[in-house]
Amino acid sequence: MEQKEKLLTKKDIRRSWMYWLGTCELSNSFERLQTLAFAACLAPIFKKLYKDDEELKLALKRHLTFFNTEGIWGSLIHGIVIAMEEERARGEDISDEMITGLKTGFMGPLAGIGDTVDWGTIRPIVIGLFLPLASAGSWIAGLGPFVIVSLITSSISYYLWHLGYRVGRKSILQVLKDGRINQFITASSVLGMFMMGILSSQYVKISLKPEIVVNNETTTIQSYVDQILPGLLPVTAVFIMYYLIRYRKVKYTNILLGVLAISLLGALIGLF
Amino acid sequence: MTIIQAIILGVLFCFCRMGILYTWPKNIPLFGALLIGIVLGDVPQAMIIGAAIQAIYMGVIQPGGNIPTDQVLATFIAVPIALQSNLEPAVAVTLAVPVGLLGVLLDYIRRTVNAAWIHMADSYAEKGNTNGIMRAHFLYPTLALIGIYIIPVAIAIYLGPNAVNAFMEIVPDWIMTGLQVAGGILPALGFAITISVIGKGNVIPYFLFGFFLFQYASQVNTIAFALFGMFLAFLHITFTKNKTEEAGAL
Repeated sequence: MEQKEKLLTKKDIRRSWMYWLGTCELSNSFERLQTLAFAACLAPIFKKLYKDDEELKLALKRHLTFFNTEGIWGSLIHGIVIAMEEERARGEDISDEMITGLKTGFMGPLAGIGDTVDWGTIRPIVIGLFLPLASAGSWIAGLGPFVIVSLITSSISYYLWHLGYRVGRKSILQVLKDGRINQFITASSVLGMFMMGILSSQYVKISLKPEIVVNNETTTIQSYVDQILPGLLPVTAVFIMYYLIRYRKVKYTNILLGVLAISLLGALIGLF
Repeated sequence: MTIIQAIILGVLFCFCRMGILYTWPKNIPLFGALLIGIVLGDVPQAMIIGAAIQAIYMGVIQPGGNIPTDQVLATFIAVPIALQSNLEPAVAVTLAVPVGLLGVLLDYIRRTVNAAWIHMADSYAEKGNTNGIMRAHFLYPTLALIGIYIIPVAIAIYLGPNAVNAFMEIVPDWIMTGLQVAGGILPALGFAITISVIGKGNVIPYFLFGFFLFQYASQVNTIAFALFGMFLAFLHITFTKNKTEEAGAL
């Protein structure tokens, strides 16, 4: 097989990645979420690939259909799409449906991975590590998470974007089905869960105020609860909300309003 | 608080909230508090208040871009007011809770307005105008934020302390207590969201393990726990190796 000529330079690939990482949520709208960001960040590439005006219009329209993913892990999609568009521009038989199908097929699973690893694990853990410093008034706690989380997540995104471009669409399934990626995701959800437990234990606070008299001694109901199981009320609160979100599909805002209502009512009658 | 400071804070709020630099943690109370502390000249106190606000938003993530509550607006309104009026961090948190809810409204407005740019982009695509599409993505949403974010927030920050002080004098005690209680319960929502996003059934026991471990060993520092968690993760994948490889990520 003869060496295929590259239509795009390394600089083109890197520049579109920087656009994406920098602004993928900037134009987020209820109508089509990250669609505009996708089309705009890749627009310079389309312009370079498609000298023919009709082909360029088709490409732009193709990428203004719905798109939404987790921006860091979703980078894999962009890399592959760039590779596919390049093949298409070279005259290979790549249809609209193939490109759109790949995008819509992978944006969901990659969003799941990204939400787990970036938002659910890396960010809360690093912030949690710096929180005690902040409580002590240190400025480092403002900068620390910023530097560390930015470095880690940007590196992942940079790697996946270029990996996607290199391996193209044929290998994406292999990449995703690769045991090591799976193990990494499972490991990070175990670590994430464990740390969520630690952090909830640290930060969720509920205690009951009413007092009762037992054997002529006045104690609070709370001290009884603590004897049964310390942290019983906070952990119950977490799991009630988990149940509402996961199985009842209750909106976050409604839960939040519910918490406010219960807290105010509880304070009024002296429960908390 | 000078007008200039209020405007600078409005612009900084916009920077933190506008959705640039994706995962970079500029949209968390700790980072916002640092900026506010620098502008108002009291970094240590700003960080202490920021930490109290951060605590109620610990687990808050935004799956699918929907924010349950806006921690950035909460920070940018509550921290300057608390600094100006010498409020306790706990009281600052009670301010943060309702403001955070209001922030969700601002986000709704922003993302509704943003629908206009994608329609412009559609017509640019018809003409093959790549520069137009780039303007619709980079430029117009940013300009719109002057009206949606910078001006209202700068005004709120400027007028905030007086309004809040006046409010604090008339509001009954139970409401303050109630809001403080809510500040204690709300972190649960963030964690519940995170669990529902990352938790497949078989890893939920690790949550309970972490939770009760901390109840009995709260003097151990968080970094030690993180190392312990990594060890658990290692054990988990070692003992479920064949299973995870078969399952596949999809």
